[in-house]
Amino acid sequence: MKTVMLVCSAGMSTSLLVNKIRVNVINKGLDLKIIAASEAEARSLNYEVDVLLLGPQVRYLAEKLRDLLGEQGTKVSIIDSISYGTLDGEAVLNQALALIEEDS
Amino acid sequence: MKRLINFLEVYFIPVAGKIGSQRHMVAIRDGFISIIPLVIIGSLSVLINNLPVTGYQTFMVSFFGEGWTSFGIYIYNGTFAIISLLIVFSISFNLALSYNEDPLLAGLVSFASFFILLIQADGNSFAISFRWLGSAGLFVSIFVALLSTEILVRLMQYTKLKEKNTEGMSPVLARSFAALLPTLIVLAFFSTIKIIFLLLGIENILATLYNFIQKPLAGMANTLGTAILLVFLSHLLWFLGLHGSNILEPFIQAMYLPALQENLQAFTTGATIPNIFTKPFFDSFVYMGGCGTTISLLLAFFIFSRKGRFKNLAKVSVAQGIFNINEPLIYGLPIVMNPIFLIPFIMTPIVLTVISYLSILLGLVPKTIAMVPWTTPPIISGFLVTGSMMGSFLQVINIIIGAIIYLPFMIMAEKADNSD
Repeated sequence: MKTVMLVCSAGMSTSLLVNKIRVNVINKGLDLKIIAASEAEARSLNYEVDVLLLGPQVRYLAEKLRDLLGEQGTKVSIIDSISYGTLDGEAVLNQALALIEEDS
Repeated sequence: MKRLINFLEVYFIPVAGKIGSQRHMVAIRDGFISIIPLVIIGSLSVLINNLPVTGYQTFMVSFFGEGWTSFGIYIYNGTFAIISLLIVFSISFNLALSYNEDPLLAGLVSFASFFILLIQADGNSFAISFRWLGSAGLFVSIFVALLSTEILVRLMQYTKLKEKNTEGMSPVLARSFAALLPTLIVLAFFSTIKIIFLLLGIENILATLYNFIQKPLAGMANTLGTAILLVFLSHLLWFLGLHGSNILEPFIQAMYLPALQENLQAFTTGATIPNIFTKPFFDSFVYMGGCGTTISLLLAFFIFSRKGRFKNLAKVSVAQGIFNINEPLIYGLPIVMNPIFLIPFIMTPIVLTVISYLSILLGLVPKTIAMVPWTTPPIISGFLVTGSMMGSFLQVINIIIGAIIYLPFMIMAEKADNSD
């Protein structure tokens, strides 16, 4: 199973989005784990995450996180700000799926 | 307008981004965030001693006896009152973590280093004034945490390159040996500093640095100008789509958390409470509903909005807005990069900072003495941070003023949205 992690500064606003994405994951019958985390949690990551999506407000963390997590194969990207603002679970899920597919 | 935004994107955003992701800034911020639960509990346990409810004191005394307030004071003494001890460990831990080095060791060594500078070698007694464990020692505590961890981490990385012949040793044993020399060097370094200061005739390093550096800085922090500047910067960053509060957090915590502890310390001893601007001042009176005091905008939407899209967005946002979370509103409306909302989004928090400042200065509202989680809903938080209903009352007034500022711009935004 692949894991997608959504990160914002305290993990609060992304947790709202996570619930929306989970509904889409269930509807599509996908085998995906979606979690929300704070920035600090993301940096001390000691388990496998396949895709890490950053809230647009903390997009300046992307570079550092890429350096930190790139080795273990984690893809770091930034959530589209419109999808983020409208809590569009489906759009964000598609964004994550596209990143996963790049691999295979 | 476009040119201004372009200018900011080229010159301002990269700098802000750098600060927001800079290793030491992040360590300071996370160091403060780690101790927040202790700070909140420490401050609230003082507050419960002094709830402004008629008959409360008499009831508690008759129930638990005269000394009942010690219970809360003890908790305060072990938490917020020793903030410098907590911080030196916590920042060091987070910094070492970012280097992928043993955070526990780094925390312990920094803790020891802080004590090396702290101990007063007056004759035979090793007395430590409680004062320097509190916010008065904070500048040295942050500095020691960063410096000691930097040295330790460098040395650990260096010894790691050298040591290859540790085969046959258990990993724990090998690690403790590898740690020995770097630890020694760091401690020796701070002991040398202590001696140099003594040779210069400075007995109490913390008092000296407090008077020469921390006190003037704190004096600067506690002015209306600085408060307005910080609020302005934070909202300008948010307007550009960056997490302003997050980027400025290291400065805000380091300046306004000590101010709160001074207030609380004064409160426990019955002295005059010194500081108007504290961390909870901003959280409770300005950042209501999140940055931009967007709870006021939500109110304006609910009363005056006639448009489906905006009203729906307000409905979706209100449940989070009560808990001061507003990212969906910021990006969904959007407020980010939206020229119509630039003025009220930055103006409202600044106006409310001034109004809250004046209300406290004139003695209408008591100064803040307690901290609550930033997700505590307005009206409740106003009461808790001041220990007075006037705190809640000020919040209500502020929300209404904010709504009045937002209103004309909201109507403009609706019109613009219609013509699309």
